[in-house]
Amino acid sequence: MKKIEISRRKFLQGSVTLCVYATSSLSSTIDISHTQKNHIENIPYLCNMCRNKCAGFARVVDNKVEKLNPNRYFPKSRNMLCPKGNAGIDALYDRDRLKYPLIRIGKRGDGRYKRVTWDEAYEYIKDKLVTIIDEEKDNRSTIAYCNGEGFNKDEYIKFFGSKMGSANFLDEGSICLNTKLGATQLTIGDVGEMDVAGSDYLIISGANRYESLITPDSVDMIHTKQKLVVLDPRCTVTALKADEYLPLNPGTDLAFCLSMIYIAITEKLYDKKYVKEYFKDFDKLQKHIVENKYTAEWAESKTHIPSKKIEQITKEFFGAKNPLYYLGRRSVWAQNDFQLRRAMVLINALAGSINREGGIIFGKPFVLKEEEINEPFYNASGGRFDLDGIVYGSQKGGSWLNFREKVINKTTPYPVRAMFIRKHNIMQNMPNIAKTKQMLNMMDLVVVLDTMPSDTAMLADVILPECTYLEREDMVVSFNRLEPSLALRNQVIKPLYESRSMQDILKGLGQKLSKPLFEISAKYDEDLQESIKDMGMRKAFKEGGYDFTELYKKSVEDRNKDLIVAQFGKDIYSSLKNKGVWHPYIEEEKELYNDYYEYYPKEKRFYTVKRDYKVNCYLQKLQKSGFDPMPTWHKHYDFVLPQNSFRLITGRYVTSTQTATTNNIMLKEFKEKNYVWINNKVAKNLNINEGDYLVLSSAVDSVVIQAYPTNKIAPQVLWFAHGFGTSSEELTNAYGKGASDNMIIEDKFEKIYGCATMHETNITIRKL
Amino acid sequence: MANYGMAFDYKLCINCHACEVACKEENGIDLGAKNHRLWIQEDGEAEGDFWNLDRDKINFMQMQCQECQDAPCLKACPNGAIYVDNNGIVRLHKERCDLTLACMKACPYEARYIDERNHVTDKCIFCADTRLARGETTTACQITCPAKLRYFGDLDDEESEISKVLRERKHFTLKPELGTKPKLFYLE
Repeated sequence: MKKIEISRRKFLQGSVTLCVYATSSLSSTIDISHTQKNHIENIPYLCNMCRNKCAGFARVVDNKVEKLNPNRYFPKSRNMLCPKGNAGIDALYDRDRLKYPLIRIGKRGDGRYKRVTWDEAYEYIKDKLVTIIDEEKDNRSTIAYCNGEGFNKDEYIKFFGSKMGSANFLDEGSICLNTKLGATQLTIGDVGEMDVAGSDYLIISGANRYESLITPDSVDMIHTKQKLVVLDPRCTVTALKADEYLPLNPGTDLAFCLSMIYIAITEKLYDKKYVKEYFKDFDKLQKHIVENKYTAEWAESKTHIPSKKIEQITKEFFGAKNPLYYLGRRSVWAQNDFQLRRAMVLINALAGSINREGGIIFGKPFVLKEEEINEPFYNASGGRFDLDGIVYGSQKGGSWLNFREKVINKTTPYPVRAMFIRKHNIMQNMPNIAKTKQMLNMMDLVVVLDTMPSDTAMLADVILPECTYLEREDMVVSFNRLEPSLALRNQVIKPLYESRSMQDILKGLGQKLSKPLFEISAKYDEDLQESIKDMGMRKAFKEGGYDFTELYKKSVEDRNKDLIVAQFGKDIYSSLKNKGVWHPYIEEEKELYNDYYEYYPKEKRFYTVKRDYKVNCYLQKLQKSGFDPMPTWHKHYDFVLPQNSFRLITGRYVTSTQTATTNNIMLKEFKEKNYVWINNKVAKNLNINEGDYLVLSSAVDSVVIQAYPTNKIAPQVLWFAHGFGTSSEELTNAYGKGASDNMIIEDKFEKIYGCATMHETNITIRKL
Repeated sequence: MANYGMAFDYKLCINCHACEVACKEENGIDLGAKNHRLWIQEDGEAEGDFWNLDRDKINFMQMQCQECQDAPCLKACPNGAIYVDNNGIVRLHKERCDLTLACMKACPYEARYIDERNHVTDKCIFCADTRLARGETTTACQITCPAKLRYFGDLDDEESEISKVLRERKHFTLKPELGTKPKLFYLE
């Protein structure tokens, strides 16, 4: 049993027990000579197998999707589809999909549901909501709602936030990248975009761009001949492919960054002209960094990276023409994450790599006009409480861990009694699953909109089956800043079974809920009572914006047409329908080599735009709140572990997107389950061999997982991939396979953005 | 009519499996890791201690039928089921195959597997009965690859991209000592 994590083929070849119970696609059952007479279409669509939204063409034969191919016209995805994108067919035709509306008939979590009609499901939700909102005297914030999918998120917020009136919206931001977004925004006034393709020297801390693909970054790294330096406590594929791999202690990237800043300042390597023109409080930064003596020797003692190497990399970075320190994405590792991301932004700024080729660019994205809606005002609705104790926090999505903690401790200012959960597997996506379960069990109503019977869906009272991305048209989206484009997700086939698009689901809900909920407001809201007196019931309802279906008077297709034609014209609408994409140079695209294209001519790209901004070294608000105003190292950031403990870090395989793809029959065959990486020498000392079952225990829980001893991980570190260990028996391909990281990750969060810190859990191991 | 071959800019591979999934989806290959027309083989290992890893010996190699011009499988088949089609691709008369497995044993590249549904041996045929049959000029693996490292085209056409890249860059074939004359090339 060798190389279980590496060579699938050679390892599995001898195994005769592999299931061959399904063919990979429907195409195998169709004779080619026959298909030529059939109705064949190539329909442009946007992928949704992960957050990237790459563009493809779906080959459809007689309303069956046979093959997904890359779309050459989209600058973002560069004419490629990744393994997950290719396996989208298997998400569409997954036999375990949610097919019909379901209402729970057993106890929560025991998996017993009955099939109902859409109307019965809506009616059930209405009855529960009317009771809850009436009992809460029209405080709409008693309903929390969350969404884990990028597309349609704003519409979802419009429905439950603007129309229904709840302040409690949660999304993936606080368990993903809000510190990075915030750090960039607060330091240079914009979240920006990283121009990987334009950089000639690229440093990446931890982000595993070759196994966690981001378009166009991952693709650009392959096609650009820049020098790549990777820091990681695990030798990932990205590290394997790097020109220089710097193994380091987990959570010490900030020490490396501080040392880079120290060397740049003391040796005057930084871009003096840029610093003079754009930096605010540079003197404070200089004093702080120099006084703290963040030397290369100091950083070596924290990171385990030799000081000579730190000096060499720093000199190369600041000597390069277009250096870029990559800011990461799924980024929140430890308490210092916000200041870590800020240190990275400052390094880029010191090199002058802001608003220019190869740096963090502002660019010029297309700004789509918003569809305006009439928003009611609810006097009784309570405000957000998830930001209590958080310095900044996201204006949009709440801090999940802070929110959950307050709900289960009953320290919320008002009771939260209902949750609407869309495409957000909260039972797997945040640390300490037991607490999420506890929170859901406190709800009087849990409604899940999803395509799959996820762990979260199996705790719902009502399950509403949403269709997959291949079965719906979505509203047009503006992508990117350097080479901006518009892209449209066209409908490839009609929704299967009784599934519906989110818009259709919300329309149905809105028709059912608008009037009864309006009546509750009329009962409690004095302003509304006055309006009714003044203008009558009907007019008060209409002009007050209480009709939840306002956005859905027209189909998504018609809304798109109206919006795009009005703002951009008919030709662009037609490009979006026929090619799925539009940008100004779409007719002039040049093939560089082997089906790899140039999109915007270089001189037309928005590397540098006119922008009045400053680089903020010092954040006063943080200082006033008792936090570091500048990136600072603290003793408790040191990588020190209790005896016989390991630090757990997580990541994922190239073939999985969190838990969303865990049941995909095609992807499953590449990584059927996860293994825990443990340093080979450590494993030898502990008599742990490949495939041995280990119990990993943290302060919150334990899991059982098989071992993969390797020299590619640091001695005191354990790693296993996120996205496995599902508890839903309805996911028949995934159930019982591997372990769930969030079972054992402790639910700590940093206080600048309220983000879960995923790499602060210590683990002990026991061999079974 | 063409003489198809493929060249790999193999060092660009990040082992993302897109080619493998695209192949299976396009050609309807059975699930299961042993059923495949192509695969990526991780050659070599990272050597040494974690803090001083030697990563140089690791390569991701694109493996599939090497389209030998002197194909051992063709010569080995007792039923004469294997032939070269007019695009220069080694193919199979499915009805003549009775699973003697002689071709599998003869292939020095382990390129064939047993297609359990059709009861024949199968291998990469450059999407000959899917994409090429529909008049397309790309293979599923080539077009989906994020690295665009697979050059596919007509070796007899001097103007084809593969011909140009083979003229311009050094390349090697697998197990040249066997004299099989593969039409798959690995670019240095």
